[in-house]
Amino acid sequence: MKVALVGQPNSGKSTLFNAVAGYRSLTSNFAGTTVEYTHGQARVGGAVLELVDLPGLYSLTPTSAVEEVSRDYLLAGDWDVIVNVLDASQIARSLELTLELLDLESPLVVCLNMMDEAARKGMTIDTHALKIALGVPVVEAIGARGQGIIETFRAAQEAATGGHRPQAFIYAPDLERTVDELAEKIAEGAQGQPVAVPKESGPKSPESEVRSRESGVRNQESGIRSQVSGHSPALDSAEGTLECGGLTPPWNKAQEEGGVKPPHSKALRAFSCRVGQCSSACCGHSPAMEGQQGPRVTAAVAVLPAQPPSILPLTNFQATPVQSQITNHQSQMPAFPPARFRALQLVQSKPRDIPMLEGAADPGLRKPDSAARHSSLVTRHCSSDPGPRTPDSGLSLVEWAQAEIAVRTGQPADAAISAARHAACLTLFERVAHVARPRADWREQVDRLAMHPVWGYAVLMGVFLGFFRLIFDVGKLGEARILNLFDVLVAALAQHMNPQGALFAAAKGAVLGTAGAVAIVLPYLLPFLVGLAILEDIGYLSRVGYLMDAAMHRLGLHGTATLPILVGYGCSVPAVMATRLLTTRRDRFIAAFLAVLVPCSARMTVIFALVGFYLGANYALGIYVLNILVVALAGHALASIWPEISPGMLMEVPAYRVPAPRVVALKTWWRLREFVLVAFPLLVVGSVVLSLVDYYGWQHGINAALSPLTALLGLPRSVGLTLIFGVLRKELSLLMLMQALGTTHVLGVMTAAQILIFTLFVTFYLPCMATLASMVRELGWRLTLAASTALLAIAVVISLAARGVLMFL
Amino acid sequence: MRDTAKFGSPINLYDASDHDELRILLITGGWEVRRSFNQIGIQPGDRVRVLRRAPFGGPLEIDNKGTHVAVGKQLAEKIRVEVLP
Repeated sequence: MKVALVGQPNSGKSTLFNAVAGYRSLTSNFAGTTVEYTHGQARVGGAVLELVDLPGLYSLTPTSAVEEVSRDYLLAGDWDVIVNVLDASQIARSLELTLELLDLESPLVVCLNMMDEAARKGMTIDTHALKIALGVPVVEAIGARGQGIIETFRAAQEAATGGHRPQAFIYAPDLERTVDELAEKIAEGAQGQPVAVPKESGPKSPESEVRSRESGVRNQESGIRSQVSGHSPALDSAEGTLECGGLTPPWNKAQEEGGVKPPHSKALRAFSCRVGQCSSACCGHSPAMEGQQGPRVTAAVAVLPAQPPSILPLTNFQATPVQSQITNHQSQMPAFPPARFRALQLVQSKPRDIPMLEGAADPGLRKPDSAARHSSLVTRHCSSDPGPRTPDSGLSLVEWAQAEIAVRTGQPADAAISAARHAACLTLFERVAHVARPRADWREQVDRLAMHPVWGYAVLMGVFLGFFRLIFDVGKLGEARILNLFDVLVAALAQHMNPQGALFAAAKGAVLGTAGAVAIVLPYLLPFLVGLAILEDIGYLSRVGYLMDAAMHRLGLHGTATLPILVGYGCSVPAVMATRLLTTRRDRFIAAFLAVLVPCSARMTVIFALVGFYLGANYALGIYVLNILVVALAGHALASIWPEISPGMLMEVPAYRVPAPRVVALKTWWRLREFVLVAFPLLVVGSVVLSLVDYYGWQHGINAALSPLTALLGLPRSVGLTLIFGVLRKELSLLMLMQALGTTHVLGVMTAAQILIFTLFVTFYLPCMATLASMVRELGWRLTLAASTALLAIAVVISLAARGVLMFL
Repeated sequence: MRDTAKFGSPINLYDASDHDELRILLITGGWEVRRSFNQIGIQPGDRVRVLRRAPFGGPLEIDNKGTHVAVGKQLAEKIRVEVLP
């Protein structure tokens, strides 16, 4: 059984997920996005649940790539039940997503998470009233303390096996007629299309056998239910043909095959509700529902065989692209997503002519935005054209509906619908929640300091200085010890192999490459990732974004991009990884570019050991000042090359929370794992290649190949190879420089001007291999290549300028 | 500008005084702007309060039924509010 965890960002889905799925969970990625679904399995009440933790989304009309992935997943219908996780302390806002999910008319459980937080805000919530109003099970939970989690998943199991389909929440009675009309047309359009015959592809897998066994149980149940509820199946099916076509979620397919049709025609249900035939299966208004369903479903769960783990191997959890899921579930009925849901989404989609009327940004610069893709996707899911154009008006049905609503309400259709939904949420909120005076809270006091126009920045400085201090203290401790270990290993290798052979050179390269990865990066990366996860979970990063927004605007970025750039002073690898916190690809690229432009600690050692030592600390400081200027200029340039589409910062400032160690550990582990998988092989292979270059004495050739560059910069020819080593590991450029020049007394071989130029070039040119690997991971090959080229160009220009200035002096 | 705000007269959110009770009258701007405000739970009719503002034209922090939201200057200027007594 597949359970989709859906909720607004920061509602605690992942806490719930991690509490039951534990460390067996793994991540999988969808092409083209850095957004992750987390899959995992959990054993709840003897049955194995497959959990899918979707990225947070505010509504089913997404505005960011992150939300799009979640929405697409939901609309593909490859799940059995939705668990909608709500932050109870934000219930007024969170209910909006719940109402949209109800429109899907599919098994749904509402989990009111963070009840303690709500209590702290002086809020009491009448869960029972909410349950009755929504018509779906509502479970209270405090995820961080493990309360209510098992109950939530048990309720989800019951909702999925119970065959109960919630009714859509009617929030705009006056708009409903237009929406209904459109829905009817969509359903009719779908009916006219050839009906796909469901067919099994390939031999039955053990999994599908289990599914059909489950559905057998379900069929019996729904049979019982339809007898109990007094619904005439014949009447249902007669009504049902109206809505056929499109997609069928798996839980329905089983029922259709069993010959029992759930009551899915809204009109019919509404009717039976009005005349008092309302059944538990129909809309859940009856309080008897719990009493009826409870024992029956638990019995069903007991009948279900406990699935042996071999049936659900972890490899099966690889997510498949949404597209293929859509085609897999072509079936007869009922349509999924429901016609009314599609109609609502279409009405809310972006009117094509509005951007022109509003004089929005130059259309040439606009990427195909999420809104346009949204409407096309909804149209695709609708499996029917929005409608034939009416010959007289030239408007499509959707445009007609939008115009109708706009005329009736005096505002754009999307605004009218969201206003109606919002109003319904507020009414619901006032009915179920009572807000007393909030308890005096230390959090507000903290914010008074942490977000203060003056002290806020002092706190920010303090936090980051402390953060870096901690990282480097921990890192240094680890680095020396691990490096020693590898030295011993190389010595041992030398005893067992011919130290003169090529094989030894390769092995040594591999060991040194591993040493570079393990000893240099890990000791710094690990504490950084732990610290980042903690800062993120506490909620401090949003405050940083708030404080730095104005400053970052000058670099063409938002406040949220502060962190990657600050982190860049420590190590470029986690800095690039931290750009994932940003929402748009553009922001991620600019932030990553600026972050690698900032000298990391390895480049700092080069700056201080060469320029600082031979030319004086003022020159070293000068390089840092120059760097800040270059960062500002580059930010400006990038912002004008790739102008911003998003209008500004709009970000929730979450309440401070005590981070859960388990969540911090898992976040750290996932991020670390990605780095290890991408960067380690590159480092090892790169190191082996360089050892072989050294062994076969190819460095002369490389120096010769790089001689145009070294000559251009006025550097000794022998530093060519050093620059290559610098790409592998920045500190190596210093060691290799001394090795290449054959002396540790650099000033004897190079002039002061040459040292300065060399350092400037090393500071700005390509980032190290590990950074390049994580850039490819976050931005893709093309942008990484573009960034590398730009960095190389910047380095050459700056070094040349320095050479010119020095010659002039 | 901020001091001239009178009860009931519409001003934009960025010009509102800190800690005043405000009611959102209108969100100007296009589909994306309306959409993003809607997603974060801000709608015309809502009662909000400016908690604090970041210096140098930085964002505002507003309170909307217990939810705190940072709103950038350009976006705050797209919201028309009235000051409630």
